[in-house]
Amino acid sequence: MEFAELIKTAKVENVQLSCSGLPPIKGTLCITSHHLLLSSQPGGNGEQGTVELWLLIRNVDAVEKRVANSLGTITLKCKDLKVLQLEIPGMEECLNIASSTEALSSVDSVMMMYPFFYRPQSMKLKDGWKLYPLQHYYQQIASETGAWRLSCANGDFTICSSYPPAVIVPATVNDNVLKKAARFRQGGRFPVLSYYHKKNGTVMLRSSQPLIGPNRKRCQEDEALLSAALDEGGHGFIIDTRSAQAAKQARMMGGGTEPTSSYPRWKRLHRQLERGRPLQESFIKLVEACNDTSLSMDRWLSKLESSKWLAHVKGALSTACLAAQCMEREDACVLVHGAEGTDTTLLVTALAQVILDPDCRTLAGFQGLLEREWIEAGHPFHFRYAHSAYSHARLKQEAPIFLLFLDCVWQLGRQFPFSLQFSESLLLVLFEHTYASCYGTFLCNSEKERCLCDVKEKTHSLWSWLNQPSEWKKHLNPLYTYNALVIWPSVEPQSLQLWQGLFLRWIRSSQYLDEAWAEIQRLVTSCEDAPEESAGCTLCHSQPDVAYPLTITGTANEG
Amino acid sequence: MASSSTPKYNSNSLESSSIKRTPKDGTKWEQNEEIPRLPGETRVTDKEVIYVCPFNGAVKGRLYVTNYRLYLRSVEIDPVVILDVPLGVIARIEKMGGASSRGENSYGLDITCKDMRNLRFALKQEGHSRRDIFEILTKHAFPQSHNLPFFAFVNEEKFAENGWMVYNAMSEYRRQVLSWIHPENQAVVMRSSQPLVGMSGKRNKEDERYLDIIRDANGQISKLTIYDARPNVNAVANKATGGGYEGDDAYPNAELFFLDIHNIHVMRESLKKLKDIVYPNVEESHWLSSLESTHWLEHIKLVLTGAIQVADKVSSGKSSVLVHCSDGWDRTAQLTSLAMLMLDSYYRTIVGFEVLVQKEWISFGHKFASRIGHGDKNHADADRSPIFLQFIDCVWQMSKQFPTAFEFNEQFLITILDHLYSCRFGTFLYSCESVREKEKVTERTLSLWSLINSEKAKHTNPFYTKELNRALYPVASMRHLELWVSYYIRWNPRIRQQQPNPVEQRYMELLALRDDYMRRLEELQITNNSKISNSSTSSASPSQMMSHVQTHF
Repeated sequence: MEFAELIKTAKVENVQLSCSGLPPIKGTLCITSHHLLLSSQPGGNGEQGTVELWLLIRNVDAVEKRVANSLGTITLKCKDLKVLQLEIPGMEECLNIASSTEALSSVDSVMMMYPFFYRPQSMKLKDGWKLYPLQHYYQQIASETGAWRLSCANGDFTICSSYPPAVIVPATVNDNVLKKAARFRQGGRFPVLSYYHKKNGTVMLRSSQPLIGPNRKRCQEDEALLSAALDEGGHGFIIDTRSAQAAKQARMMGGGTEPTSSYPRWKRLHRQLERGRPLQESFIKLVEACNDTSLSMDRWLSKLESSKWLAHVKGALSTACLAAQCMEREDACVLVHGAEGTDTTLLVTALAQVILDPDCRTLAGFQGLLEREWIEAGHPFHFRYAHSAYSHARLKQEAPIFLLFLDCVWQLGRQFPFSLQFSESLLLVLFEHTYASCYGTFLCNSEKERCLCDVKEKTHSLWSWLNQPSEWKKHLNPLYTYNALVIWPSVEPQSLQLWQGLFLRWIRSSQYLDEAWAEIQRLVTSCEDAPEESAGCTLCHSQPDVAYPLTITGTANEG
Repeated sequence: MASSSTPKYNSNSLESSSIKRTPKDGTKWEQNEEIPRLPGETRVTDKEVIYVCPFNGAVKGRLYVTNYRLYLRSVEIDPVVILDVPLGVIARIEKMGGASSRGENSYGLDITCKDMRNLRFALKQEGHSRRDIFEILTKHAFPQSHNLPFFAFVNEEKFAENGWMVYNAMSEYRRQVLSWIHPENQAVVMRSSQPLVGMSGKRNKEDERYLDIIRDANGQISKLTIYDARPNVNAVANKATGGGYEGDDAYPNAELFFLDIHNIHVMRESLKKLKDIVYPNVEESHWLSSLESTHWLEHIKLVLTGAIQVADKVSSGKSSVLVHCSDGWDRTAQLTSLAMLMLDSYYRTIVGFEVLVQKEWISFGHKFASRIGHGDKNHADADRSPIFLQFIDCVWQMSKQFPTAFEFNEQFLITILDHLYSCRFGTFLYSCESVREKEKVTERTLSLWSLINSEKAKHTNPFYTKELNRALYPVASMRHLELWVSYYIRWNPRIRQQQPNPVEQRYMELLALRDDYMRRLEELQITNNSKISNSSTSSASPSQMMSHVQTHF
């Protein structure tokens, strides 16, 4: 396929661009294989020769066109939720631009996507792809205990196509047992270690559902594997992210959940978390309510409520708290799974780690967490984020699970303003890049696919861009102080807020808040660095509590 | 427990520790004393009771009553639960249960407070055990109904600052009703009550002429703008009782707008509904729609919207504005004071805000005595209404939207509200200046501003950046307003995410950092200026910040 075939009109003059809150700009619109560009023209109100719009076409979620007389209007609704309007003289041009944009934005082949073409001069390919190897994480565990080993049994992705080549498993369990246990789990996702809680040596495991089926099958190896994860005489909790009834019904389709009779040392807890269609619909409803400026907003709160988005936030946070509580307060190991083990499972395991582990709350640690618990763990990014809240396309596998995770992290940051090293802006960047990016980090559905597409050889990593000092600095939370404690959030509905910075980002003017934030950042950093410009911001987090010993001495915990 | 159906994440000791928060009001603790006492505070009685805590269940303890506060300390449990409530916040004391009622803790006292909580104490059923304590509490909680002075008149505290000096009426304004003069265009904000038009459409030549003179005074625009805070229908209805609004024919040079803000009764009912859904138990399942049905945020929105219109008219419309409602001391005070807060950065400082409250609320005769009902047992008085609370809520909403624009922090606002009821200071006592003068309030009582100004750091926003002459217009859309959870739901331990200390400490530290930074910056500027005294280079002032105006593409 050639991109050129999809571009019917490459350039139109005298196009007017408008976007809520900004004065309209006139200029020349160009369409390339991956971008829509608008450069201001002489006599226009923009500065001459400047590019006013540089929009990644992949970011376009829906194209709506309206033609009246010889003037066409295209409304571009983007995946990052902003809405742009282009007024294009000439009916044919308008229709051509619309259909070209539509065609280019729906190119589904991974290797045709922009990251494979993006070659910034300041960056080297292959940088940033090996920043957070599982080996490092394993070594941290190995320095504490010999109970776990790194298995490369999945090196060629034959045991489990959605797992990475290396996984952490109980040391006493050999690869043959893993292979057999994998056959008993949906998609081959046998239980692996997700998090090791240094404080008391408990662990969190994750997997997919066991294939119990209607005939109540058992699998010795699976039972042995889970048993090996527990200390002698210890017990564990299985947190199933489906309702008890849904888990039971799954048996009819060959799935199910661990019966107590075959897993006597594990106690099962069910916490239903929505995913898939209902979650996507909740997202769509919420965005609709946020964008509904026409109606009087008397009904805003009930609309917000009926979108159920905040209920999903509450559900995710409380289930993650439950998992964290089992480990921290009950000294018990935890296994988390739903059905496939690639969505709500990861939501819970990743969130629980942010709550429990101060290392995950640093900028680098958070990237490592995303790499380990979302990207390598096989969350199907390609399927889930093909479309956002505006698309008219028939939805297939779209669901904003990762966005829900980011929202929960934002809630944590709001409740614990000093405990996250990164700021809201990082979460916003991550949100944008899951839907449309010039970096390869969120491409594909699994490590196997990434290997097949040579993603790590032919695209740049988002992390290597974010970790450039200038970018890094932008996303630091100036108020951060290292907090070694567990951060237990309040999950009452009164404590959860709409994430305005994301959902109302293009609606409200955040100028004052941005200014305030810049001011706070300037204030704190200039105080801290004043005597001598500190050597580089990448070091900021390595000296956590020297300046403020107070949080450590604080009482029980921050929350 | 992990296995129970509702995990208690932030359970157990949280409430007790937060109630226990060592007296934040500057009370001195004497080691050998059982309870904290202010100078001038005397102990009246004490009694064994059971405090029926809505969050953590019954707690056995000893209840002390002084002429200022009600104080409970638990016995036999660890950590100690402490309750420290100024008697001024009590709205109503009721006996619950009778000598023959059955059930645990069913006999005792039920206390309704003005600050969004209720207290319940159970007593032993035999021997009329609650009679004494009921009478003593009633007597000291409602001194006005028992010929007793407010505690403010016996308070013997000493403060480094004298808050009565903050505001001097004579130097603050020259003409009685003028509220604020715009420094550049001389447009003024004025206030009054409704005109007494009545059914027959009475006119008053002098009033018409007077408004004309005001309009001429700024000489720039043809019409004077009149904002009537009420909904249109109410203004019409008021004609029946002799009031009304400025008609077109009588005031041809004035434009009249209605701002649709409801009256004190509507506001009182709205707050009552809000209390119902937040105390003691928070409505969980349909939180947002029940919040919506209280209309509290909607009222906040209308007040803010009205104030924005007034402020905008003055600053950009360059027209003088007259604001009134029915009486001119409730909605009018809200509108003019908020408009002034938006237009003039002076009022966003700690002292400036104190002046604003002193001038627009206290001096101009907001009827604090009847709206709050200080020391008065008549809890069902229809004159009571949370108008001032609503104003403070609006200020809080603004401070959320402009985090660096206000010198004061949230604690400042909460302190003001706490002492709005406490009767420890004379500041909010009585309804008008003439009574205050008669009672010699400024001589015989202390000002709340003495307390605040003596410990300014506690009430200072570490992120405040001084900016002159920037008008702030908050977004008054429902989507941008929040319920002030840390005030309205502060008694509920499940809402609290963080123990107060670390946050407060961190803010104090930032404050120290900022002072240090400002000092160094000043030094640098001094050395800098001496180096380049003849060059015209201006060093960037700390208040100038990078404007991050981004094109959102």
